Amino acid sequence: MISIRNLSITYGRMTSRGRSGETRAVKNLSLSVEKGKLFALAGESGSGKSSVLMAIPGLLPEGTRVSGEILLDGRNLTALSEEELNALRWRRIALIPQGAMNSFTPVLTVGRHLEEVLDVHLGLSKRSARERTDELLGMAGLDASLASRYPHELSGGQKQRAAIALALACDPDWLLCDEPTTALDVITQKGIVDTLKSLVETKGVGMLLVSHDLPLAASVCSRLFIMKEGALVEEGTPREIVVHPKNPHSAALVNALLELEREE
Amino acid sequence: MRHLLARWSFWCLLLLVLTALFGGRLFDAPPEREVAAAFSKPLWIERDLPPTKEFRLSADTPSLRFDWRYAPPSRLSLRIDPSVGQTGRFVEWRKPGAPEPLHLAPLRGGFEADGRDIAFKRSLGLPPFGDAAASLFSERGSYELALSGEGGFEGEVVLKLEGGRWGLLGTDQRGRDVAALFVAGVRVSLIVGIFATLLATFLGTSFGLAAGYLGGWIDGLLMRIVDLLLSIPLLPVLMALAALWGKGLWQLVLILSVFSWMGTARTVRALVLTLRDAPYIEGLRGLGAPPGYILRKHLLPETLPVLLATMTLGVPGAILSEAGLSFLGLSDPRVISWGRMLHEAHSFGAFTAGAWWMLLPPGLGIALLCLVFLDLGKFLEERVDPRLRKGVRS
Amino acid sequence: MNYWGRRISGALLVLALVLVLNFLLFRLMPGDPVASIVDPRFSPEAKEQLRKMYGLDRPLPVQFALYVKSTLTFDFGISFLTGLPVAQELRSRVPNTVILLGTSLLLSAALGTWLGMKAALRRGSLLERCVLWSGALSFSFPSFFVQLLLLMFFASMIPLFPLRGTLSVPPPAGGPALLFDYLRHMALPVFSLVLLGFGGWAIYVRNLTVKILGEDFILLARARGLPRKNILRGHVFRTMLPPLLTIFLLSLPSVVSGAVITETVFSLHGVGRFLLEAVTGHDYPAAGAAFFLLSLLTVTCNLLSDLLYGITDPRVRLERGNR
Repeated sequence: MISIRNLSITYGRMTSRGRSGETRAVKNLSLSVEKGKLFALAGESGSGKSSVLMAIPGLLPEGTRVSGEILLDGRNLTALSEEELNALRWRRIALIPQGAMNSFTPVLTVGRHLEEVLDVHLGLSKRSARERTDELLGMAGLDASLASRYPHELSGGQKQRAAIALALACDPDWLLCDEPTTALDVITQKGIVDTLKSLVETKGVGMLLVSHDLPLAASVCSRLFIMKEGALVEEGTPREIVVHPKNPHSAALVNALLELEREE
Repeated sequence: MRHLLARWSFWCLLLLVLTALFGGRLFDAPPEREVAAAFSKPLWIERDLPPTKEFRLSADTPSLRFDWRYAPPSRLSLRIDPSVGQTGRFVEWRKPGAPEPLHLAPLRGGFEADGRDIAFKRSLGLPPFGDAAASLFSERGSYELALSGEGGFEGEVVLKLEGGRWGLLGTDQRGRDVAALFVAGVRVSLIVGIFATLLATFLGTSFGLAAGYLGGWIDGLLMRIVDLLLSIPLLPVLMALAALWGKGLWQLVLILSVFSWMGTARTVRALVLTLRDAPYIEGLRGLGAPPGYILRKHLLPETLPVLLATMTLGVPGAILSEAGLSFLGLSDPRVISWGRMLHEAHSFGAFTAGAWWMLLPPGLGIALLCLVFLDLGKFLEERVDPRLRKGVRS
Repeated sequence: MNYWGRRISGALLVLALVLVLNFLLFRLMPGDPVASIVDPRFSPEAKEQLRKMYGLDRPLPVQFALYVKSTLTFDFGISFLTGLPVAQELRSRVPNTVILLGTSLLLSAALGTWLGMKAALRRGSLLERCVLWSGALSFSFPSFFVQLLLLMFFASMIPLFPLRGTLSVPPPAGGPALLFDYLRHMALPVFSLVLLGFGGWAIYVRNLTVKILGEDFILLARARGLPRKNILRGHVFRTMLPPLLTIFLLSLPSVVSGAVITETVFSLHGVGRFLLEAVTGHDYPAAGAAFFLLSLLTVTCNLLSDLLYGITDPRVRLERGNR
């Protein structure tokens, strides 16, 4: 399980003249998530949820101050060195980035990306790597022929699925999904979300899904966390939050949603 | 303005401009004149070597005392003018510690003697192959040159001593003062650099405005010309044109500008493209304003800050091109430029003579001038950028 | 017309233009071109021969056709200055210039790329500041100045290297001794060019690397637990490759200008110095030949750089109409 305790994240900026300027993105946040379940972290843009996600595998930009603990099965990730983190990345924790991100290196094929992690982390031979690549693409709902394509040749939905295939490569315990449905049409969104849900159910991974789309988050997770301005303002099952919101902010959100539904 | 004054390059440029304008006044002779022996070293090294000096006696200064703490000069000459002399009087020479003065020459108007003249040597009691200078300056100490006796003398006695040292930066292969040449060179570098870049900026702005605003085939044609010209290496073309067309300074300025307007044109065009569809420009168009008016009164002023920065950054290129051409010998030999100085240093064996003082000043001068404009240009660029980012007035 | 067709025809157009200009330069000089230039040097018989060879007694279009034919077969005529065939003169000089430029360009690019990447990885360090300064310095200091200083210090004051020439006179016998002599003569020129050239590369590569390091896909490569070396080589450098190759090829024509100056300073037996002597001596056949070769080089490099960019950057490949 992943346990976050008193996490605070402050961004600085690095230039050729050193550090300058500061923003407090996350203030004293604590939460816990377990394997085998889908957790969602929701909030408006700028609420700090992506920062929390990126903090787990240690991917915050240089010059960011992090205080607090992130415990992965008891081990504090914030205290680890880059080498130690590298041993955990992708093998224990894999990231499925925002669709809007340029997550693939443009000059390499999709297949090359997969073969690279298979080689580096699992030491697979070329042939086994190729077989596994086809397997992974299938798991993510893609045709094996996509392996020889370059990233810019894929549609948005295909790229997202390719990112999922890549994340599954080393059979991680945890999948961190950052806005997996942004910039996609509704039908593709549903397909992706279904895939993610089935991964949790069939493979028993733990998933932390970050989204600003509250209805979506609420519909898939077993436990929901709501953030506002860097702090955790509400947590509970989706049902609990909708029926008994404890926080005025989440109450307002829920009301807005209900109004929409009533209008329909 | 405060930020500008804080930059070293501003003060440096100011100093260089002042030198270009008034520097010549620091020297008595024009830079082309021969003032001392060829390859004389600067005064501040090898203090044992005799400097090149001149001593004058006249009615006001009938005697001169001076210290001579060096080796004897390599040559000397004595001249008395005008034609009015005074009989019975002599030019006297007192060596340190000598009780009696030596008679160098009778005070006869029009007298001229060189240290190598046999007659002169004989008058000093030296054998025909003796060294007059060595003999007269045989010791280090206090000497005196004087007119004997009394009386009003209406002329001048000039004793010229040629040594191995001269001036702040020595002399070149023709005995010209390198410091004077250096100062003269500032002028040429600044003129060529600034004028060529000004002209190039003018050309580039015109073409950039036209291409960006008028668009269509004009834009297409102009941009292809830009691409073509950009791919042509500059120096060979400059060489050909210089050899064919003449080595004059203004030809050079013209040619340089013809081959450096392209960068400015691209920048201006890009700027115009972003501004062209701004609401207030469209409004003006709708009101029937002619393109010339819009370009002149509205678009052009928007480009000025960027132009200033681009221009400043373009000056070093022009300076280096001129220097390169001059170094290759393809510039006007009558014009003193730093590149030319380096050409002569190379062609006339400055480094076999070990005359580093001919090499360092012009080279360092060019580098300094370039660095100054690069720094100022960077400063201007930084100033312009945030304004550009703020976007268009609406 | 597809993309390649347009680029190639454009290149041919430029070459044609160069041919026309070269031709006009020679023929349209006032007075009898042969007499006005070679007057004291050639006998009347030789002048007649030259006149016939250049077809100066035939109508202009015929002359042009002859000129084009001879140029395209690399028959550049006889030098006015030396009386030898220009092609022969060039043949002995081209290898020296190619070696000089090729070696120094490769070394500057390699050194500059290495330093630039290191500087980008250590933002704010002394190395980075040095790299940024080295660019400005190597731009501002004229090449001939640096070279003259090197000559003065390491050839004149401390006679480590020779003062001039490509080989000693007379050249030493035997393979190894000859090679060593050649290397000794080329050492200072190549060193000076690398010294002057690496700064620009370092700055460009540093800026490019900084930009790439800020890209999402590099962050994601880190997220995948890839070791630093893998990321630098397989992702950062691989992404930089297309623009680097382009710049490399495009810098070739301008490096030729450097050859003129370098060969003049060190008195090397190369095409650059040949060009200078031809131009100052009004040796039109030689100058025309050198300019034609230079244009050929420029046009070829532009075409090659386009071609290579298309091959190494898959995004571009598709744009160029492979679909």
